[in-house]
Amino acid sequence: MSFLVLDNIKKSFGQTQVVKDFNMSIEKGEFVSFLGPSGCGKTTVLRMIAGFENPSDGTISINGKNQNRLKTNQRNIGMVFQAYALFPNMNVFDNVAFGLKVAGKPKEEIETRVKEMLALIRLDHLADRYPYQMSGGQQQRVALARALAPKPQVLLLDEPLSALDAKIRVSLREEIRQIQRQLGITTVFVTHDQEEALSISDRIVVMNAGRAEQIGTPSEIYNRPNTRFVASFVGTLNIIEATVADPSANTVKVGDNTVRLREPIGALNVDDKISIALRPEAGSLSESAKGDTAIVGKVISSHFLGSVIRTKMDVGGNQISFDMFNAPDAVLPQPGEVLTLRFSSGDFLIVRD
Amino acid sequence: MKTQKILAWIAIAIGVIYFFVPLIGTFEFSLRMRRGEYSTDAYQSVFSDMQFRETFGFSMVMALLTIIFGMLLVVPTAYWVRLRLPQIRPVIEFITLLPLVIPAIVIVFGYLRLYNSSSWIPFTGSTSGTNALLVLSYITLSLPYMYRAVDTAMRAIDVRTLTEAAEILGAKWPTIMLRCIFPNVMSGVLSGAFITFAIVMGEFTMAALLNRPAFGPYLQLVGANKAYEPAALAVIAFAITWLSMGLLQLVSRFSKMAPSRP
Repeated sequence: MSFLVLDNIKKSFGQTQVVKDFNMSIEKGEFVSFLGPSGCGKTTVLRMIAGFENPSDGTISINGKNQNRLKTNQRNIGMVFQAYALFPNMNVFDNVAFGLKVAGKPKEEIETRVKEMLALIRLDHLADRYPYQMSGGQQQRVALARALAPKPQVLLLDEPLSALDAKIRVSLREEIRQIQRQLGITTVFVTHDQEEALSISDRIVVMNAGRAEQIGTPSEIYNRPNTRFVASFVGTLNIIEATVADPSANTVKVGDNTVRLREPIGALNVDDKISIALRPEAGSLSESAKGDTAIVGKVISSHFLGSVIRTKMDVGGNQISFDMFNAPDAVLPQPGEVLTLRFSSGDFLIVRD
Repeated sequence: MKTQKILAWIAIAIGVIYFFVPLIGTFEFSLRMRRGEYSTDAYQSVFSDMQFRETFGFSMVMALLTIIFGMLLVVPTAYWVRLRLPQIRPVIEFITLLPLVIPAIVIVFGYLRLYNSSSWIPFTGSTSGTNALLVLSYITLSLPYMYRAVDTAMRAIDVRTLTEAAEILGAKWPTIMLRCIFPNVMSGVLSGAFITFAIVMGEFTMAALLNRPAFGPYLQLVGANKAYEPAALAVIAFAITWLSMGLLQLVSRFSKMAPSRP
């Protein structure tokens, strides 16, 4: 049986239903990210696990025990907040020790555990500092140590990195993942940053309008999105409006180009409309490419983005972006230039609403 | 630009003269008790007056009780409104502002009608009851300042997230209030306390109409019957108020409990 089970969870505020039939099973030690735009219900689900909100319907159980009737302070859950939420009147040591003191642990045990936690986050030299004397990244590490000190059964991370600058965000997310692996703690991470979710999760739940649109590994979510929303929300994606060329041959027409799809088109007829998706990094420039693995288009614009060059081209009224890795001798395609893009039939995904 | 600056300085100078000249005059007059030379006789006379000590002591005790019970009322109210009932905040703001709009004399007459010795709650039937009523009326008077001071301090610390952080670490309500919230709104509590202290020490209407031996009525009594002592008392009253304001500034300046936030 799964460790954390969210069974048919619903949540309404007045007339508005913000979480709809949410089902999810999380294994012990798993790192799961809830990814979605603002207002999709991801934080509400997290707050229901924490006990700050009660589900309107459905049950939440941890290790087989129903949590619905337990108060927040009875659930033994650790949480890191976006706004750090360190107690300003306490120094680092006292902040980390707070949960242990509340639990009535002996003084020696508290001291040992706090030191252990501070060593884990590599801030043992700042035990006497107050929150206002520390940087955002340091404060969030202390918040993580405070959440972990009482040995919670589940760790909840509510957009813990969104208030930090880009470099700290990357290093701290790696640190969080490493600590999570080291402790083997079941973790639920809420974020609206797809890169964050893709880089550190065992599984991702993509949420939209209160529902889980897709649950899967980062690779599944990125490479095989189930819906148009998931396809467009995760990563940059070209959505191409095409028409069916030959259903039996599994080919579609994009402008004057006929391309073959690996995925079966299904019960569609010739000239029926179909939406297909292509990642910008999937194709590559090739003058020799021909047939149903090539698309010819006219360059609209080209931008140097550092590690990649992103070129936008027009193919039968569709704007398709594709990325090329930067090289010292790379030449930017010029507007109006006609280019041939090579790809494999597996690069195209059929987009379903 | 230069003219504007000069005009500004003239305005400041007028303000300073308007405020300080009477004060300096009062202080100078308070030193003139001995004919032909300056002395502190008026102050010695005030400090040696038994009634001064009694009324001053009484008002101090009343101020202390007002601060304690006022805070016990205001801190949990402001906390609860911020945390659970933000929609009733305008109502609470309105209620706490009422003492500024309704004259003290109207409030105290209301009290006397409601809580006289022949009423259901006969506060004025005994000395201790009247004292309790006086404390309650002082709490009412200081409500606009106390509530705002505490509410502002709570706004600065993000009460909701701190409460949730404490709660998820296993803390119950008394622990959350005493160890996480109260110490972090201490600057607001102290600010409210000093303002309350200054108000109570100089208050006249409530104490006079409830017939209690407070410092305010004593000031009036001395002012009506003596010459130099009222001036000395006015200076003392100013000193108390300024001391309270100075402490208030000190508390807010040296408060190191800066909020932890991104």
